[in-house]
Amino acid sequence: MRRIVVVGVLLALASWSLGAGAAQGQTPYYAGKTIEIIVPFGPGGGTDIESRFFAPFFEKHIAGNPKVLVRNMPGGGSILGANFYAQNAKPDGTQILATSGSTVIPFMLGVPQVRYDFAQWKLIKVNGVGGVIYVSPKTGVKTAADLLKPGEKLVYGGISATALDLTVLLLFEILGLDVRSVMGFEGRGPARLAFERGETNIDYQTTPAYLTQVVPLVSEGKAVPVMSMGFVNDRGQMLRDPAAPDLPTPYDVFQTLHQRKPDGLIRWKAYQSMVAAGFAFQKALWVPKATPPEAVTALLESIDKMGRDPQFRALSRNVLEGYTVFRGDRLEPAVLRSMRMTLDVNRYILNLLQTKYNVRF
Amino acid sequence: MPEAISAALALFVDPHRLTMMLLGILVGLVIGILPGMGGIVSVAILLPFMVQLDAFAALAMVTGSLAVVHTSDTITSVLIGAPGSAASVTSVMEGHSLARQGQAARALSAAYLSSLIGGLIGALGLTLSIPIARPLVLSFGSPELFMLTALGVSFAGSLLGKDTRKGLAAGLLGLLLGTVGPSPTAAEVRFAFNQVYLSDGLDLAIVALGIFGIAEVVSLLARGGAVAQRTQLGRGWLQGLRDVFEHRWLVLRGSLIGMWAGVLPAIGATAGTLMAYGHVVATSRDRSKFGKGDIRGIIAPEAANNAVEAGDLVPTLLFSVPGSAPTAMIMGALLAYGIVPGPRIVTEHLDLIYTIVWSFAASNLIGAAIMFAASPALARLTYIPFNRLAPAVLLAMVVAAYQETQHVGDLVTLVALGILGYVMKASGWPRGPLLIGFVLANPLERYYHLTVNLYLRPEDWLLRPGVLILGALLLAPFVWGGVRYARTRTMRASAIVERHPIEPATVVSALIFLVFGYAWLVSRDFLPGAALMPVPVAAAGTVLSAIQFVQELRGKSRGAGEEDEPEGTPPGGHSRAAAHLLGFVLYGALIWIVGIQIASVLAIVVYLILMVRMRWYWAVGYAAAAVVALELMARVLGLHFPAGILR
Repeated sequence: MRRIVVVGVLLALASWSLGAGAAQGQTPYYAGKTIEIIVPFGPGGGTDIESRFFAPFFEKHIAGNPKVLVRNMPGGGSILGANFYAQNAKPDGTQILATSGSTVIPFMLGVPQVRYDFAQWKLIKVNGVGGVIYVSPKTGVKTAADLLKPGEKLVYGGISATALDLTVLLLFEILGLDVRSVMGFEGRGPARLAFERGETNIDYQTTPAYLTQVVPLVSEGKAVPVMSMGFVNDRGQMLRDPAAPDLPTPYDVFQTLHQRKPDGLIRWKAYQSMVAAGFAFQKALWVPKATPPEAVTALLESIDKMGRDPQFRALSRNVLEGYTVFRGDRLEPAVLRSMRMTLDVNRYILNLLQTKYNVRF
Repeated sequence: MPEAISAALALFVDPHRLTMMLLGILVGLVIGILPGMGGIVSVAILLPFMVQLDAFAALAMVTGSLAVVHTSDTITSVLIGAPGSAASVTSVMEGHSLARQGQAARALSAAYLSSLIGGLIGALGLTLSIPIARPLVLSFGSPELFMLTALGVSFAGSLLGKDTRKGLAAGLLGLLLGTVGPSPTAAEVRFAFNQVYLSDGLDLAIVALGIFGIAEVVSLLARGGAVAQRTQLGRGWLQGLRDVFEHRWLVLRGSLIGMWAGVLPAIGATAGTLMAYGHVVATSRDRSKFGKGDIRGIIAPEAANNAVEAGDLVPTLLFSVPGSAPTAMIMGALLAYGIVPGPRIVTEHLDLIYTIVWSFAASNLIGAAIMFAASPALARLTYIPFNRLAPAVLLAMVVAAYQETQHVGDLVTLVALGILGYVMKASGWPRGPLLIGFVLANPLERYYHLTVNLYLRPEDWLLRPGVLILGALLLAPFVWGGVRYARTRTMRASAIVERHPIEPATVVSALIFLVFGYAWLVSRDFLPGAALMPVPVAAAGTVLSAIQFVQELRGKSRGAGEEDEPEGTPPGGHSRAAAHLLGFVLYGALIWIVGIQIASVLAIVVYLILMVRMRWYWAVGYAAAAVVALELMARVLGLHFPAGILR
């Protein structure tokens, strides 16, 4: 027992000395306060890693240098933690919710367990990520134009049809690809291992994972990149992925394959809203709407300061996967708009999930 | 490579980095001791400090803490019977029994030495495997992973205890508990009863704490007295070391099993440890002492659970596919230093990898040395009347369980599984198979589904060499058992059949039958993919438990039969245990209503005065100390507590 106490005291002293030395001069809103970033996922996931990366930079850049802690509240694929936040969060800016595409998609699809509403919150920051689709050279596919007539049946390994994989499945639908999708992998990493073992032959990775894990395979001739998932800007237009500018977007590929533009097709609208919510605006931080303006301003300004901090810029290149962190107030309208699906799009997605992927709601 | 190893050594012996590693080791040891807390908590505590360090110091620190968590978790498991982390449940089964026989010192020294050797073999394995690990890991496809998990489940077969039918049914119950939550193969949540809490499934730490921790504590309380009944203090330190030397090949086998379970990201630390345990039991001639304090049952799993952590670093560093939450968090930290795990790390950051190896090996040595030095004092805990320790132990378990999701469901699950654990213990349903079933349910189902969907023709996967080898390993014990059965059948037939009276424990068999039957009915309506495992598991469980129930009614099988109790239960023990369980339920309800601080003060004071007959001022002092400890943990460890609905 004595050892525990000694270590406890040491740790307490260490954390106290680290926390001291802040907060001088005029007292800003956050002086002496503690902010909790509530992560509705378990430790070690993407949202958790990103939040833990942000925490010390928030401490540094929020006026008043509050202490920033990360609190994991996993459950129900993030529904449990987000519901908790919607019902219990104090509107004083000391509790921030971190969300991911997996929090947004059930909200968009109207899953009955969802008790939270993004319109009741204010967006503090948002940053996204892109994705790259690649195939095995055994398929004989050299460019996206060959996708309709592969040398062997395309097999895709996914996690679950109702998670981010939905975006990829919609992509296969739009382009009219004949792909056998096998769901059940634990994550994109194990799915990539299955691709490397030759168990699947078409796969996607987020662009940063693609650049670090798959590009070495490409140079060894073991993988062929065919397209990016596309990136959506704040006006809802599809652009090339800034991290993989050489690869065509699905918009380009559709035109190559079908000699017309996809605009106006329901399934194209469905894909676009999924790419925006699940990728371009994937990682976000929110506070309740009733949070005092001085708290919101302090949080928003800290995002600007981080953008100018050379240490943040250097270190964030890997963790934030090379994509810009946007101030929430500028993108909030676009983010909320991307979550609203027209009724026909919603019906199309639910119908696709029910008929082709055996999903029940 | 030799240059990188020596360059890493030069980087590693920097005093600043060594200090950070020591800090990591201390945090890891303390977190390991706290019941139910393991690597995740210790890495989470250290992460905020990492920002201020350079990459080498930061890695030395987290590696140090991860390396020793499974060294110190043994002490809680052995002395108190509450698993120090989920992967040390086997030390509850064997080590705690030894402690009850006054042999805590022997169990602990054997455990530390095996942990140390396991860790060193892990570090060596990590060094040697870096150049060849990539093709090795890739040679394990979905079919091999499926066969490996099936082999793990079959190891449960050697833990069945005296009554094979009950053992099998317990294993099936574990598989069934493992299917609660999202189906890995179809978009359906199973057995969640419309509770969002259950829709992610049950948490391993809570299952281990409930089924083993709570059950053990309650049965110790019901027995009364101290953990160990003998009067001489824990001698036998040397005996423990001698045991390890005598079973040196066992240490090696345990380490290799653990290492391999860590390398394959699908398996995990707890499953690796349990597989090492099952392997020992399966390959031992004399199995009579397993579950009652067999030193071999400590040696192999303890070696395995330290080696797992080294193995886990292989997929994390080489594929950027972490096998567990703590390594995933380390990976996130690496990214922040601009170090990207993956194929290029071997060429770009080899010195860093060897820094990790050095830290891992050194931490195992230092951690084991510290625990050796600290244990004689800690072993005295077993001679204190247990009812004085129990409030603190229970409080620590409740706190640990609540860290998982911080939902009231954590408390409800802990209480419910605690009751289940005690009832199983009291009526002779072995809990080892249940835990193996639980941890392997998900990978078993997942990799079976992936195998048959990725390899459409059965011959495509059944004839793979790896599958054939694993299949032979899987079937060999059954063939051998069949041969032995055929030889001894003539003798068995003449044995006198004893008629047992019907006991209250028959109710347990009936309840287990009802659970299986209900699950069978419900699971038939699942989507085809989601029904894959629940239907056969529930069907087999229904049949087995129905037979068991009928045989008990006919007096051909015993309802009770406490196998892990060397001395049996004292008269009136079960009703005292029931009273304690009821008290624990009330305590849980009180926490839910008024929050953990007030509830604990009330519960501790009432319990100590009424049950332990402590003077009121001592009881109040105890409660005050508990609250202070809670506040300290909240501050230092960043823990969260149930606040209560009234606040």
